[in-house]
Amino acid sequence: MFRNNYDNDSVTFSPQGRIFQVEYASEAVKQGSVVVGLVSKTHAVLVALKRNAEELSSYQKKIIAIDEHLGLSLAGLASDARVLSNFMKQQSLSSRLTYGRAIPLERLVSAIGDRAQTNTQHYGKRPYGVGLLVAGVDETGPHLFEFQPSGMTQEMSACAIGARSQMARTYLERNLEKFADSSREELITHGLKALKESLAQDKELTVENCSVGVVGVRAEGKAVIEAFKLFDGQDVKQWVDLVADGTEEVAEGENMEVDA
Amino acid sequence: MNHLPQGWGRPRDDVYGAYDASYLQNSGPNQHTQQPVVTGTSVVALKFKEGVVIAADNLASYGSLARFTDVKRLRTFADAAVVGFGGDVSDMQYLDRLLTSLDTEEAYGTTGHTLNAHNLHTYLSKVFYKRRSEFNPLWNQVLVAGVDQEKKPFLASADLLGTTFSAPSLATGFGAHLAQPILRTLAPDEEAAAGLSKEQAVEAIKECMKVLFYRDARSMDKYSIAVVTKDGIDLRENEKLEAQSWAFAEKIRGYGTQVN
Amino acid sequence: MTSIGTGYDLTNSVFSPDGRNFQVEYAVKAVENGGTSIGIRCKDGVVLAVEKVITSKLLKPGANKRIATIDRHMGAVSSGLIPDGRHFVSRAREEAASWRKVYKTPITTSDLANRMGGYLQAYTLYSSVRPFGITAIVGGWDSERELPVDGQVGSGPSIGAGGKVEGKKYGGPGLYMIEPSGLYWGYYGAATGKGRQTAKAELEKLDLAAGKLSLEDGVKEAAKIIYIAHDDNKDKEFELEMTWISGLDGPTKGRHEEVPKDILEEAERLAKKALEGDDDEEEIKEEDKPAEGDKMEE
Repeated sequence: MFRNNYDNDSVTFSPQGRIFQVEYASEAVKQGSVVVGLVSKTHAVLVALKRNAEELSSYQKKIIAIDEHLGLSLAGLASDARVLSNFMKQQSLSSRLTYGRAIPLERLVSAIGDRAQTNTQHYGKRPYGVGLLVAGVDETGPHLFEFQPSGMTQEMSACAIGARSQMARTYLERNLEKFADSSREELITHGLKALKESLAQDKELTVENCSVGVVGVRAEGKAVIEAFKLFDGQDVKQWVDLVADGTEEVAEGENMEVDA
Repeated sequence: MNHLPQGWGRPRDDVYGAYDASYLQNSGPNQHTQQPVVTGTSVVALKFKEGVVIAADNLASYGSLARFTDVKRLRTFADAAVVGFGGDVSDMQYLDRLLTSLDTEEAYGTTGHTLNAHNLHTYLSKVFYKRRSEFNPLWNQVLVAGVDQEKKPFLASADLLGTTFSAPSLATGFGAHLAQPILRTLAPDEEAAAGLSKEQAVEAIKECMKVLFYRDARSMDKYSIAVVTKDGIDLRENEKLEAQSWAFAEKIRGYGTQVN
Repeated sequence: MTSIGTGYDLTNSVFSPDGRNFQVEYAVKAVENGGTSIGIRCKDGVVLAVEKVITSKLLKPGANKRIATIDRHMGAVSSGLIPDGRHFVSRAREEAASWRKVYKTPITTSDLANRMGGYLQAYTLYSSVRPFGITAIVGGWDSERELPVDGQVGSGPSIGAGGKVEGKKYGGPGLYMIEPSGLYWGYYGAATGKGRQTAKAELEKLDLAAGKLSLEDGVKEAAKIIYIAHDDNKDKEFELEMTWISGLDGPTKGRHEEVPKDILEEAERLAKKALEGDDDEEEIKEEDKPAEGDKMEE
């Protein structure tokens, strides 16, 4: 990599107006394993590929529940994500305590965005080395947000971040129109398929390396929600089996029958 | 004789002992509000089928003096709720500004604001409780009228102690003694309130305002009345009591020119 | 820039031998790469508009608003680093709120611009921070009538607060543009971001100083200018976002609001139509002269 004078800290602009330290922080996101998020009219889904450091170690947690109505998945420095998610949990709780209201997603995501921005403008701080996908429902329906180390937050229809995530994004772009009217199960299946696109050649999806998070509105216009739930291990078998290699060709067809 | 003029006319030290000069200092402990100063009297409210009717007169008293006669004690919160204030008027103004800033902050979001009357009541009760825990209470009792998350009528009270209460009909101050019994005969429970029409509820509230004017010496005959439903707020701030009859007063000692 | 690499451009708050603050100039570069933002001060209101370049198909259409409300009567839009823009907005909101706390009345557009100018300037003073990578356009409406004091419960004296000069006009539209250096000016028409040169040329054609353009026409002109300014990089898709603030008797009643969907779509339709007409004629060439106003002492 090229060495330049303008990349030592996050308070120095390059002559082109770039801040290299922030750009490098975005590279840390690409070191993390891939996570995918997508929304329909009724649900928001997160799926993640978990990695283990070695054969006998446990798998890194990739999806964190924040509140009843939202959760997030992370790619990059997990400890930075923990700082941010703890903050988000506090904010969510404080909204419930003060107003008796689930915090609107946009507001929560902006709050971590603003925090991250501060880290890019003051000497002695470093940008967060983590990207997040925040999925949840509030009074305006299901939402998916992407958070970047620069403090950039954007609402997405679908998104994938982390290592080799470009392939997953290509899948999402190709199938974008289908998501809005997808059922809960269809949405999860699309998520896993997108995830699968980003796998390294010798890897496959297993119950060990797969996490799924689901949250939804139970019925349109209803106040009661399907609370954010994290599925791991045997609980994801039903979906992993659906996208297993043998079944792929069938499932790729137009008339997908995943509901069973 | 004492030659010092500041000693003249004072109790003699040899008789009463030296004056304790510490009484002259005004650097004692901080004293917060210990009583309301300019006050508003009762607020009355009643639920009906689609919403809530709430009313309060336009008087602010300074002790027994009818000091300000055009004081609007029903404050609206962004087409979502009406807050009726009893008690100290300057604390009401403080709370009104607090609600204005809350409304402004809520409107920052792209989805517009989602705080309903229920959320607002929770918030106000926390503000009251915090202040009373600092021994610096906001000297009010408020009624919050509006609709809740399910668009059902919402009515609840919060006071300077942080106490909260909810019922199909509520009244603060003198109204709790004089108006509440009238309203309870009409709507003893939620079911009965849900059977009331808007016209019936408005009629009952107006009757209560009249009774309060007859018997509460800190009240007046000009008042504000608001009807809150899911469709919005209909607020009238310059109503006058109609069809007064003081015939009953002839039988009361002290009325008019009677002496016995 | 001949002095690049001499070491004077590595740290904020440091002057080069010829008296320049390079880090501030580099911050301006960040602005020049951002999507075009404009503001038009009409006779009866202000329009803000921004070209939002669509960086990914996966972005939710219509979400991710870039024009923010500062206070009920005021909005801001910026070009450059978007998170810096959000920082600007949250500070501006704090300023507006603190003004209200002290004076019990809304902050005027000029006072807000002044406070934010001071805030941005402070970020050029220390080596421990970097300047803002944005240029912000602030638009607002200062009430032309006497407003009740915040929290006012009665009607007050019938003659009002007094202190008013007979026959003098108070309040009205305000439009200011604030640069990374903290420098700010009031404008009739302001433009920043990638297409600013083209946009400025278009704004100048409107003769805004005459004060004749109505808000309704301003909305149409703003849409047209964003479309024309975008024309230079046709390959990228974009969304147009517009907000407006009218006087108390106008369509927004003195509030900062999104331009309603039907009016926005009509303005976009006219803009596209005007653009098609333009293509037949000669194309407007953007002058590639170095950016002005990136020196701090101006």
